[in-house]
Amino acid sequence: MYYAYSSKTDDLVFKINNNYAQSFIMSSQNIFILGIESSCDDTAASVISNGRILSNVVASQKIHEEFGGVVPELASRAHQQNIVPVVHQALKQANITKSDLSAIAFTRGPGLMGSLLVGTSFAKSIAYGLDIPLVDVNHMQAHILAHFIEEEGFKKPPFPFLAMTISGGHTQIVKVSHYFDMEVIGETIDDAVGEAYDKSGKILGLGYPAGPEIDRRAKLGNPKAFAFTKPKVEGLNFSFSGFKTAVLYFIQREVKKNPNFISENLNDICASIQYTIIGILIDKLKLATKQTGIKHIAIGGGVSANSGIREALKKGEEKFGWTTYVPKFEYTTDNAAMIAIVGYLKYLENDFAEDNVMASARLKI
Amino acid sequence: MEIEYSLESLKAVADEIINTATRSNIILFNGDLGTGKTTLIKELVKTMGCNDTVSSPTYSLVNEYHSDSASIYHFDLYRLEHEDELYDFGIEDYLDAPSWKFVEWPSLLKPLLRDGFYEITIERVNNEKRKLQLQYISNNL
Repeated sequence: MYYAYSSKTDDLVFKINNNYAQSFIMSSQNIFILGIESSCDDTAASVISNGRILSNVVASQKIHEEFGGVVPELASRAHQQNIVPVVHQALKQANITKSDLSAIAFTRGPGLMGSLLVGTSFAKSIAYGLDIPLVDVNHMQAHILAHFIEEEGFKKPPFPFLAMTISGGHTQIVKVSHYFDMEVIGETIDDAVGEAYDKSGKILGLGYPAGPEIDRRAKLGNPKAFAFTKPKVEGLNFSFSGFKTAVLYFIQREVKKNPNFISENLNDICASIQYTIIGILIDKLKLATKQTGIKHIAIGGGVSANSGIREALKKGEEKFGWTTYVPKFEYTTDNAAMIAIVGYLKYLENDFAEDNVMASARLKI
Repeated sequence: MEIEYSLESLKAVADEIINTATRSNIILFNGDLGTGKTTLIKELVKTMGCNDTVSSPTYSLVNEYHSDSASIYHFDLYRLEHEDELYDFGIEDYLDAPSWKFVEWPSLLKPLLRDGFYEITIERVNNEKRKLQLQYISNNL
């Protein structure tokens, strides 16, 4: 067990400058960090101890049943309702109490302002109340640093590496030279990749979110049945808006000729959409590895669960000598474990938030 | 105001909209998937002097863009299903702000707006051409 004794850190930690001796001293005791994530839809809390996740909780119906009430569907006022039960649950599952905590980490941005404010205010209050340090976390950095969570069977990427974050809201390639030395070298100029899946799915009459369904059907279809042109975007940036329109026009044209076109060809259409989207992502990764000379590639974000991208990465390992890293699924979507690991890494560097820290909807990497 | 345009004349369309929309800072954007709502907003934001990357806020609900002279909230209400969800993310706070509000997929919001606002409807003429209508709605009761 990691929590054999209470680890409320003493003054020692804060007096020593950032060096390896410090991390050594600190790692000999148990550091407990509470991570809080509230940047968009999900309210989440997680407890990490010395790099290992003890609990990783996302607001769900079950928690609400336990504490009474129902889960509101979306966004910031919902976070206010969720945050205390979720934190309770995270502490309970970690089998620690508030007084065991060494620091509080929270998502400062980017995200929806109202949602971020709930997490920020809550984190500030609890840190102030417990008189422990507060650590502010950049949500986009956290998606990348989730790879540094200690997890059996998962290896950590060595610096420097390329991180590709792909989700409903993000499509980004980042050059990661060290934990907090990151540079965005490519990003979407319009729609995110997850959105390309969802909106293509909408055109095909599939439910929202459509990504998993397209992925499932893609395995049953012919990826080369229909050709969609890939967008021409300079450098390492992405564009999926034109792709969505191309799918729309194609479907409209075919349905005019044959009203049953979609139902008769659904698996082939899904396979062709998936093939094109994955092709776009892999083309940019190839270019990025060529430009940077870096062949370690770490994937994050909800779309990393897609079987097509996983297969394509495996092929990349054989064909181009890449080494690829995909974290455990629960650490790829919006979650608090990734906030907690960044909290831990910053804690080791004595990198704490100022008392007047504010949420920032537009925070950049 | 009604204009037919193609991608090449988007800049002129953006200029025209900004010159016309003097009575409200709320503009609703109607139009099917793929008619170019985000593309037009991208041009408007650029014309207003913001160099921020304009991306689709379908997932994030709101993107904020700022420059020295303008601040813009870019909404996409595509994935919302109930009016309550608008209040849940604090729509009133945004509407009260002295910034531009560009709203894609505005059908849930429109009935809640009382004061004057603009409404743009984009229709596809063919693959290259679009038709745009800009209307001032003075009384939405």
